[in-house]
Amino acid sequence: MNLSGLAGFENTFMQLALAGLLLLAPIVAIMGVHAVQMRMAFFSDAISHSVFAGVAISLLFNVHPQWTMPLFGLLIGIAIMAIRRASTLSTDTVIAVTFSAVVAFGLAIISRNPGITRELPRFLYGDILTVDTAGLIRLAVCLVGVIVLQVIGGNRLLYIGISPVLAAAHGIAVRRYQYLYAALLALVIINALWAVGVLLVTALLVVPAAAARNLAASTRGLFWWSFAISASSSVIGLVLSAQPWARTASGPTILLCAFTWFLFSLAANRSRIH
Amino acid sequence: MTDTCVNFDRVNVTRNGITILESVSASVPRGSCTAVVGPNGAGKTTLLLALLGQIPYRGTIRLEAPGSNTMPRIGYVPQRLPVDRGMPITVLDLMVMGHARRPLWCGISRIHRDRALHWLSCVHASTLAKRALGVLSGGEWQRILLALALQQEPDLLLLDEPAAGIDLRGEHLLCELMESLRERHGFTQLMVSHDLATVTHHASHVILLNRSVIAAGKPADVLVPHFLSIAFGLHMGVAAAPWLHTSREGSDR
Repeated sequence: MNLSGLAGFENTFMQLALAGLLLLAPIVAIMGVHAVQMRMAFFSDAISHSVFAGVAISLLFNVHPQWTMPLFGLLIGIAIMAIRRASTLSTDTVIAVTFSAVVAFGLAIISRNPGITRELPRFLYGDILTVDTAGLIRLAVCLVGVIVLQVIGGNRLLYIGISPVLAAAHGIAVRRYQYLYAALLALVIINALWAVGVLLVTALLVVPAAAARNLAASTRGLFWWSFAISASSSVIGLVLSAQPWARTASGPTILLCAFTWFLFSLAANRSRIH
Repeated sequence: MTDTCVNFDRVNVTRNGITILESVSASVPRGSCTAVVGPNGAGKTTLLLALLGQIPYRGTIRLEAPGSNTMPRIGYVPQRLPVDRGMPITVLDLMVMGHARRPLWCGISRIHRDRALHWLSCVHASTLAKRALGVLSGGEWQRILLALALQQEPDLLLLDEPAAGIDLRGEHLLCELMESLRERHGFTQLMVSHDLATVTHHASHVILLNRSVIAAGKPADVLVPHFLSIAFGLHMGVAAAPWLHTSREGSDR
């Protein structure tokens, strides 16, 4: 594919960004379908917001946030899953409580270091054009993780999404797959933050899957639609954002493309029902 | 080899300080159709969930597989599932997802498709294979969940309120279906019900429950005015034929 004819693509950082987005598309497509089916959109919000605490810890212990962010995200993901499994509180209450505690802790520590507050917008909004080779490698590792989990337990996750009690009664190791999924989702979200930031990363995960839900007629279609929407929105969004007349931020532009897909899917779904 | 499939021994369940089950001791004969009967709030569903290991309990619940030390295979038919109506998961997808490793987005192999269709045909639901879960009626759901449980080739089939949410004719068909399937596959059936009509017609063993076991044995010995009045309250004992009472109340969970 020769994209260098289009404005912006002669730059290496644009090519890296495109490579990153194309790695990210299958990851968010698959993980997003499970997130929507298992009703875990809010869960992913809590994990993305845990980066504030991840940054705070890196300040406290003087470690690079590249390590504390994924580790803390993982910890929060597993902790929420554990509370959710053990508690009689409804899940959204559990998440809201954890979520706010983590954000408050992060902001409290960060506010003591005025230097770092300049860095915050980078986490809040992300910047696709800052992806480097190391970031691409991390995404590739995530993709391998997602594929491996699909092969060993993708269908089992769908079964758990239907009903954990039914799945357990029928011999599925529910706990194992729930934790594996939560851990992998945490790593995916932290590694996707560079693209769209804390505010929009859940949308990156959920919008393609939600649109696919309206368009597909089977589980198979659900995954492929989700991938098609995710990949096409990424490419179109990136290209649009680089055009001289647009000059918009890439992340939000990509999500607007995905949201356009969603509106289309709503209309298509209505016409299918009536 | 014993002739018991499940044995409850002094099972206690307490939640938030409220005793739901108190020293429940009962057994389920192998090959029987056993019904756990009791009013709403008697702890019937709780007993099933304890058996499934889904809630903590004190006491012992022993499951015995025929002739070996392995755990018996369980098939579970829940009362109802909160299904996302817009999710395009088909009946066939649901039947396959617990068995096939190959992700559904890579397609369904012929072996798994045939296997699923076989079990669907056993519950007269072959035509529903391509239907999305969200558009199924209550009775159709019941049959799909039954096929899903039978697919486990269970030694023990658990049904939670099989009569809830379907009409009398559907209930009758379901019971007849269950009887022929039990004859063919030889599993033990344990169902929870507050519907005495179903029980008197189809169960071979009854456990009358209201927090603890009030009586257990053959339907004719258990479903007598004396025990029923203890379980359901006085008015039940007065009615000449209490099982003609066919109210359809909701869950007692």
